[in-house]
Amino acid sequence: MRVVDAHRLLGPRPTGPGPDTVVELLDDLDRLEITEAAVTPSWMIHGDPRAGAEYETARGLTVDDELRAAAGRLTLVPVVVPASAGTGWPASPDEVRAGLVRACPVRHRFDLLGPTATAWWHALDERGVALAVDASECGLRPVAALAAAVPGLRVLILSPGYRELRRLAELLEHAPRLHLETGTIIAAGALEWLARTVGAHRLVFGTGAPVWDAAGPRFQLDHLDLPRADVARIAHGSWVDLAGEGTA
Amino acid sequence: MSAIDIHGHLGTWSDFFVPEPSAAWLVATNRRIGITAVGVSHLVAVGHDTAVGNRMALAAAAAYPEKIGVWLVANPHRGSEVETLDRQLDLPGVWGLKLHPDVHEHPVDGPGYEPFLRLAAEHRAPVLTHGQTRSPWSDPEAVASVAGSHPGVDLLMGHAGLWPDGFRRAATLARAHDRLYLETCGSRLTDAWLERLVSWAGPEKVLFGSDACFLDPRVGLGKVLHARLGQEEKELVLGGNARRILGGRLSAPRHAGHDDEGGR
Repeated sequence: MRVVDAHRLLGPRPTGPGPDTVVELLDDLDRLEITEAAVTPSWMIHGDPRAGAEYETARGLTVDDELRAAAGRLTLVPVVVPASAGTGWPASPDEVRAGLVRACPVRHRFDLLGPTATAWWHALDERGVALAVDASECGLRPVAALAAAVPGLRVLILSPGYRELRRLAELLEHAPRLHLETGTIIAAGALEWLARTVGAHRLVFGTGAPVWDAAGPRFQLDHLDLPRADVARIAHGSWVDLAGEGTA
Repeated sequence: MSAIDIHGHLGTWSDFFVPEPSAAWLVATNRRIGITAVGVSHLVAVGHDTAVGNRMALAAAAAYPEKIGVWLVANPHRGSEVETLDRQLDLPGVWGLKLHPDVHEHPVDGPGYEPFLRLAAEHRAPVLTHGQTRSPWSDPEAVASVAGSHPGVDLLMGHAGLWPDGFRRAATLARAHDRLYLETCGSRLTDAWLERLVSWAGPEKVLFGSDACFLDPRVGLGKVLHARLGQEEKELVLGGNARRILGGRLSAPRHAGHDDEGGR
């Protein structure tokens, strides 16, 4: 079965070991029989994305080098910082070259629904670019507000957690363009319940590794009590619908 | 490889929606993935009514003999329940006592737990406690102090300290106390952390637990199955250690029925 992990970090982190390199990441994917992954470089989260070129020069390796080394198994999910006065990155949404971008409003200290960011989200929506936000970072309330403000924007909620099923079900019921990354939805039977409640097409397999566990969710995927078509949709179909074929 | 899940629950919980709280779902799921038995405390007992919740867990064990074992919850504010637990601790299917110092807001090494720990020692029953790094109630240091003051009790530290920055300390404490063990469930414990726990504490000190039905047993089991551990290490974690600690408490019912379950 084709399995795409929609939520992976690549590179060194301040709080624990990573896979630091593409080779290490691919080894980990192979071990868990994960075909492809959508990756965000750790420096885009733990550093200022505006300083990416300086960092890449210093280490002598670019993201493009890393993606080429992965021979098509990795897709970049870049972090964007939609901010004013030249403090954001990239300079404009016109420069985005990805099917899915990620925003970290708490970590990078901008307002997810400020005027600059809102203009960005409308621009991304017009270009068919989806947005990923980490609920373990910013909570669900800003995501709900975003869905109300820019209802056409497709949003992937990363790491929503296992304790928020009531809020998630209501949110997805009223915001049809929201999707859930599944790695932390680990309450007993939660994925089957969500698939029955909101549909498997709203669920995108992902792990959040190495911050979150990948092994358990991968095993769970193989043992879901769902029709095979629903499992395939969670494993890769929903991702393709969200980010486009040819990405991861 | 058949696994024994040392840390499970049944029932619903106040803090969040649990989609599959039943024993029937848990047993059926376990059967599909190779978990032979799971030890549960009922969340009614953990949450607000130890006497009734413990009876609910015993009823589940009676309905699914050898598939469900029982951790009887001890409430440190209800010392009078020692007598009931004294009658229940050797009932068929009972694995031992469960302490949840954080829910009961009483330190694991506090006086309220003393009679229950003495009872566990008298019955040679293991004790499973919640263990949470930096908690005022269940920090691994406090759990280890109980292991030191009750050297005759097999003490299982649930969640191995729960937070990643506490795993190393919890493992060091487990290695230092003969009968202090680490249990693996928790959303923050990855397969990589599990590998480190085994390396730090020793494979004979780590036991597989899932935290079902809070958490999905498939997630907990997959973490161990995929971990880069040796075959012997994996067998110890998945069941060998549990079999050694539980001994006869794992075997077939010693006498039928639950008419004598006590505390009715």
